[in-house]
Formats: sequence, C-alpha cells, structure tokens
Amino acid sequence: MATLLELVAMGDLVKLDPDLASSEFEDRKIYLLPQVCHWMEVTLPNLGSAWKIDISPEEQVDQFLTDFCAGVQVAVDYGIKLLRPIGHGVWELKTPDIRMFGWFAARDQFIISSCEATQRLKDIPGLYNGYINQAVFRRNQLDLNEPKFVGGDRINDVVSNWCYP
Amino acid sequence: MTSFRIGVTPSRRAAARFVAHVRRSLKRALVEERDLTGVNQSKIALSLDVHRSVISRELNGLQDITLGRVAELAWAMGREVDFKLVRTERVELSNVPSVQAGALTSQKFSKEKIDASRTPNFNQKLEFVM
Repeated sequence: MATLLELVAMGDLVKLDPDLASSEFEDRKIYLLPQVCHWMEVTLPNLGSAWKIDISPEEQVDQFLTDFCAGVQVAVDYGIKLLRPIGHGVWELKTPDIRMFGWFAARDQFIISSCEATQRLKDIPGLYNGYINQAVFRRNQLDLNEPKFVGGDRINDVVSNWCYP
Repeated sequence: MTSFRIGVTPSRRAAARFVAHVRRSLKRALVEERDLTGVNQSKIALSLDVHRSVISRELNGLQDITLGRVAELAWAMGREVDFKLVRTERVELSNVPSVQAGALTSQKFSKEKIDASRTPNFNQKLEFVM
C-alpha cells in the first residue's frame, strides 16, 4: 500500500503539472494513470470538436484542468458529475467534447483513469458503463492506501468551491 | 515520468481560459439577475429574438460566442460589460516559465543577468466584469 506521492515516485501515477500563473495557487491536484498521459499525448491532439467550436478538445481539457487545479468554481453536472452506480465513487469531469473518468482519492484530489470523446460515448452504446467499470477495475489494481476513494454522492465531499448552474 | 503537462501553447491556453472566464461571468450574472429580477434564459432569448437553445449552447460552451453576443446578453440582463486590459505583475525568479503571457517581454529579460532585486515585470492581462 502506498500514498499518492509514493505511487507517483514509483511511476504508477503521474501528477498533472497545471503550469499555473504566479498569482495562482494549486488548490486542487490532478493525477493521471500512465495510459491517460499516452492518450493525451497521442490521441487528444488529433481530435476535432464535434461542436465545431474554436477551442479544440485538447485546449478544452487543458483549460478545464488548469482552472480546476487553480480552484476555480466548478459547476455541478456541467463540469463535474457523479456517475451511477453512486456507490462506486466514479465521477466524470466534462468539457464540451471530452469526458474524463476517475475518482477522488481525497477532497480536491482527482485521479483520471481514462478519457474519451463525448461523441463516441454517445455513438457507442454501453461505452459509458465500460469506462465506469474500467475506473473501478483500475482503482482496484492500484496499490493505493485505503480508503482509495471518497464515497457518497455529496459534491461538497469531493470538491471545494462548486456551484449549481 | 513523474509529472505531465498538456502540450497547448501559452497563447491558446490564455484564449481558452479567457473564453471560459467570460462564460462563467455571464452565468454568474444570470443567476444573480434571476434572483433579483426573475430574468431567465427564455426571457433573454425572447428579447434577443433567438431560440432558447442558442443561449443555452452559448453559455455552456457548445457554441462559439461572439463579443457582440456577450454585449447582447449583458444588455438583456440589464448589465453592461466592463472590459479592461490590466497589467499583471510577474516577478523574475518565480516558478513561472518564460513562455507565459508577455513571452516577448520575458524573452528580453531572460537574456539579461538575473537580478533578484529587479523591478517586477508587468505583463498585460485581460479582465472582464459584468
């Protein structure tokens, strides 16, 4: 069993460097499974926006995660959503074109286990459940100290500075 | 690899964060005005002669929003846009990489001898208040 920092040192997790401005403080932390880094390096830059908007999916993810780490207010359901079954503690972080699946190891500390284009999730039946199950599977595989995730369905338990739209 | 940074250029990051900031400001203003005056997306859509779904998509980032529309939305909420370009203090020897806002200015300084007592380097920053 290991802490988040020990898992980072062992290479089982990678910490997102949000590259914040000097006036910003890292209020929240994002950790990635190595597969997610690969997806963000290889797949994400080549995705186009299904909505044909100016901000590309890669820029959307960068903006969302940077603002998230900077502690910017996050909108329930529009920016963050608890996925069913609720007891699994799997959440998604949302941009217009991308969904990031994972769980909160502690309040304001999110581990991304996988990402997918929103359009593919809509097009392929069952893919959503697949990613939820994958998050649980990858969490079980991770040698993280218990409790590995924050359970429950209260937004206040997992993030600070949130709002309802 | 212990840390990872997404490969978005600083200028595009600034653009994406600014657009998101504007949308948050609009949504926050709408919530405040809804409580104060009862205005909602439907009433705004009616006053701008567009379908409510257009307003919803624009506010939720599913459709690009023009500067003109920002002003229209502010008008429909009984507000004005206060647009300012302010200078951001940036201190040399901070942990911020040189390719941040005002990269050209930073590049100039990076060629000089590092001096911790140097006057802070001020870069421009956009501020958007509604």
